[in-house]
Amino acid sequence: MRSDLNEIAQIDQYLFCQLSEEEGKRFEAQLLMNDALAEKVEAQRLAHRLIRLYSRKQERGRLEGIHRQLLEEPAFAHQLKTIFF
Amino acid sequence: MTLQYDDPIVELYRESFPDFARMVRRMGGSLEEAKDSFHDALLIYLEKGKTGKLQLQSSPKAYLLGTAKICWLHTRKKGAMLSLPEGFEAATPEDPDTEEREQKLLDALQKSGKKCLELLKAFYYDHCSMDHIAGRFGFKGRRSATVQKYKCLEKVREEIKITETYAQ
Repeated sequence: MRSDLNEIAQIDQYLFCQLSEEEGKRFEAQLLMNDALAEKVEAQRLAHRLIRLYSRKQERGRLEGIHRQLLEEPAFAHQLKTIFF
Repeated sequence: MTLQYDDPIVELYRESFPDFARMVRRMGGSLEEAKDSFHDALLIYLEKGKTGKLQLQSSPKAYLLGTAKICWLHTRKKGAMLSLPEGFEAATPEDPDTEEREQKLLDALQKSGKKCLELLKAFYYDHCSMDHIAGRFGFKGRRSATVQKYKCLEKVREEIKITETYAQ
């Protein structure tokens, strides 16, 4: 793998607390001295938040789809109607 | 959209939602509110399932009804004193500034291509295996899927850098 991809993999391990204690300490020492690396770590942290945001939106969309489809089932729709009207 | 009948969630939805809707109705809520809280609870249920953290004391339906009730009470601010179920952040909104910033970034990412986002979702959110991902996205094997995963992550990181620089 390209060395910059290896770096991404290592940042992932750091963010998900998968580094050993010693590796973690070494990585944090690098972070203190290397601003560019620290910036990459922050961008990657945000990238993971965005992936989660995207994923949840997709899942919510899927649930909306299931809801709409179930409303087309007469028995299901009727049940809801009797509850709310 | 066609309904996935083999999706176990559909069956769970069909048998649980009317009961929850009835519960919400009794507490003075609307159908729309019932649906929103039910989806919050389903999201928690699904996420816990994917990460292997789902510990059911009873049936999936009972878990779902209990969680959805807490979600609903919470949105009604009646449940401020209730302790939230673990994983509840799935249902809590972020502060508006962060949310707006992240939404802008996400819009930019979606414009530049959804395949990467789908691949990253499959790995980081759905916790699919690399072999499964390789098959689904048409890679030769887990190694090339892994490389592609990191390339996609790099792409997202780059997009963040560009968008954030413009924003400043």
